[in-house]
Amino acid sequence: MKSLRVPATLDALDEIGRYVITATSDAGLNSKAAYGLRLAVDEISTNIITHGYEEAGGAGDITVNGELTESALTVVLEDTGIPFDPLTRELPGEDFLSLPLEDRPIGGLGIFLVLKGVDNFSYEYSEGKNRNIFVMNRPGKN
Amino acid sequence: MTMETKVEGANVIAAINGEIDGKTAPQVQSELLAALQSGNRLLVDMKKVTYLSSAGLRMLLLLYRQIAAKKGKVVLVGVSEEIRDTMSMTGFINFFTLADTQEAGLSALS
Repeated sequence: MKSLRVPATLDALDEIGRYVITATSDAGLNSKAAYGLRLAVDEISTNIITHGYEEAGGAGDITVNGELTESALTVVLEDTGIPFDPLTRELPGEDFLSLPLEDRPIGGLGIFLVLKGVDNFSYEYSEGKNRNIFVMNRPGKN
Repeated sequence: MTMETKVEGANVIAAINGEIDGKTAPQVQSELLAALQSGNRLLVDMKKVTYLSSAGLRMLLLLYRQIAAKKGKVVLVGVSEEIRDTMSMTGFINFFTLADTQEAGLSALS
């Protein structure tokens, strides 16, 4: 799949979303799986844009790369913002998720939705680049 | 994303069209909070909302708190299956009244 390179601004979320939706349709994912992957990629992209670049006062690009094999669709986000491993974030547990909305801290749900939405998520940092990797198994190919 | 809000009697009715993400959620939030100046009973028509990220959940959380503080009520209409899934896995769904149509939503508000 041709990769997509966009400036890391909130305006780019639309384009990243469309890229992922096209990839899920090429991969033949069902609508639930497609939505889950799009949500996961969108959550991480939003974090990269707002925390990885904007808050740090930097600007840069995000590269989105979809790779389709017989058994899986893999989407990789690459950026040169501040190094951040989403998997180091503490995830909300049952206690948190059953709290009334009045008593909850705001936020903390993005990474949780990432992990719920994909079959596998991993993170790497090398040569000055964050790599967030999302994997969806293809139906009937496993 | 586009949205329209109107006041009908004691009710504020907002219809949102499009995607609620990190870019659009703040716009939705400020428009809905501004609309709440006109009344504390809010119907949000989400039939045409195709996507909601955690930024949208944050907006719903703040909206819920504002309405609770004003002792009002909020009803969400026509929430898609995918968005319902997101709201149930995050424990949001139990705090909102959901309705299938505006008519049912309005009667749930009163």
